[in-house]
Amino acid sequence: MTRAGAADTIWIAIAVALALYLVLPIILVMLFSFNQSALTSLPLTGLTFDWYRKLFAQDYFPPALQNSLIVGLAVCLLSVTTGTLAALALARMPPATATRILYLLALPMMLPALVIGIALLSYFVRFLTLRLGLVSVILGQLVIVQPFVLAIVYARLQSFNWAIVDSARDLGASPIRAFFTITLPVIRPTLVGAALIALSLSLDDFVITFFTIGSGNTLPTMVWGMIRTSLDPTINALATLLILASIACAGIALRLSRYRG
Amino acid sequence: MATLPLWPALFVFAALFVAPLMYFFAVSFWTVRARIMRPAFSFQNYLETITGYGDVLVNTLAVAFGIAIVTTFLAFLFAYAIRFKLGRFANLFLLTTLITLFGGYLVKIYAWKSILGTDGVLNKAVLSLGLITEPVSALVYSVNGVVITLTYFLLPFAVLPIYGSLRSIEDATLEAARDLGATSWPVMRDVVLPQCQTGLMTAFTLSFLISVGDYVTPRFVGGGAALMGTFIENQFSFGFNWPLGSAMAFTTMFATLLLVVLVRMVMRRALQP
Repeated sequence: MTRAGAADTIWIAIAVALALYLVLPIILVMLFSFNQSALTSLPLTGLTFDWYRKLFAQDYFPPALQNSLIVGLAVCLLSVTTGTLAALALARMPPATATRILYLLALPMMLPALVIGIALLSYFVRFLTLRLGLVSVILGQLVIVQPFVLAIVYARLQSFNWAIVDSARDLGASPIRAFFTITLPVIRPTLVGAALIALSLSLDDFVITFFTIGSGNTLPTMVWGMIRTSLDPTINALATLLILASIACAGIALRLSRYRG
Repeated sequence: MATLPLWPALFVFAALFVAPLMYFFAVSFWTVRARIMRPAFSFQNYLETITGYGDVLVNTLAVAFGIAIVTTFLAFLFAYAIRFKLGRFANLFLLTTLITLFGGYLVKIYAWKSILGTDGVLNKAVLSLGLITEPVSALVYSVNGVVITLTYFLLPFAVLPIYGSLRSIEDATLEAARDLGATSWPVMRDVVLPQCQTGLMTAFTLSFLISVGDYVTPRFVGGGAALMGTFIENQFSFGFNWPLGSAMAFTTMFATLLLVVLVRMVMRRALQP
């Protein structure tokens, strides 16, 4: 083997090792959710759906699922609305100004969720004297999800042909009518993609939810409770459902929006 | 008029991010008497943070710094391989990275707990091979578990910005450097690394900030390793001393930002072509 060939082999080995590091833990969690033994250890002993049955039979599973769905849909709708509107405004601004505003609005992505969570907790409870519940969770998640929607839609609008909107406007269409008949149909796949990313981020969120929910559960806070109290593959079943839901959303979204970083 | 659609997003940002942080910052100067918070202007909480948690803070920054360095290094290797070495498989690896961004933070920590724990996959495997006779807890109930788990969680977040920077390097530039006789290390040092400075810094900053603020990983795979996030969370979950918790959070953030600025300066100098 030549020297360059050997070097390339090392690079491939590194890449494969890192890809396995990324993927294997998730696959293990999913495998154990179907494993007969109550112990999470290899080798697998046999196929079973018992852990799923046990999970669905728990009385706190339906309300947690319901809460997750309510929060997810609300965050999804709100963030797609505010994020898309902002992206439309930014797309027609000078790029330097737009980038600056984009970075500003992305600040919540940079702070540790812990800090945002406890800041929101004290603000909601003491300053707004809001009762903690699903509303405070939705508002809290909106802050961290909005920048993702904004970035995705803004990236799509970079290659948008504004001339067709301008012609519609010249022909007498109102801005709102021009948006619904021209801009929206063109960017619809991206919006659906952004909405699914928002849903997936919301379903996954633990830290903000943990501090702003008060009592009650979403699926991730239910996982938290289960890790602390029990250690049987019911957690794997729930974890598998969460992984599949969020990866399915994200996978479809990536196909639709063609967003690449 | 043209900026009107921007307002809802700005309102969300102002009302649910800026305002809470400002209020929370003000709280850090308050006092607590008889378990009730009272508005005040006192530096007592900051003093208590430094004297009571100074060593924890230093320890946290050191651990987070280590995690950020390891993550950025691995992410660079991965991104570099995807960009230059994997040919037609590059897209598959990129997709793997994008997909593993999702799946949930808590679920990923749980995955590592079930791998590294005393009853975990790793211990069971090594036990059955007869390499050890007693389960080893050094992996999970120490800072090692935190490093392995957080690096795992952060890796996809770090790969993407670096890959983004590497993508803008033209193959022609690299070929030109090689044609002029540069061997692989000088090409790396003088062409590749300076060009992906932005990506490296984004990856480092993100990994560092997220590691500093983490409190779930130490609890589940760190054996309660003494990290700042855990102590801050305790002030809210058990201690009910919000002003102290706030002062701890802002001290940590401030120290972190200082370090980030410092690292950026060093990196910029080191990566001068």
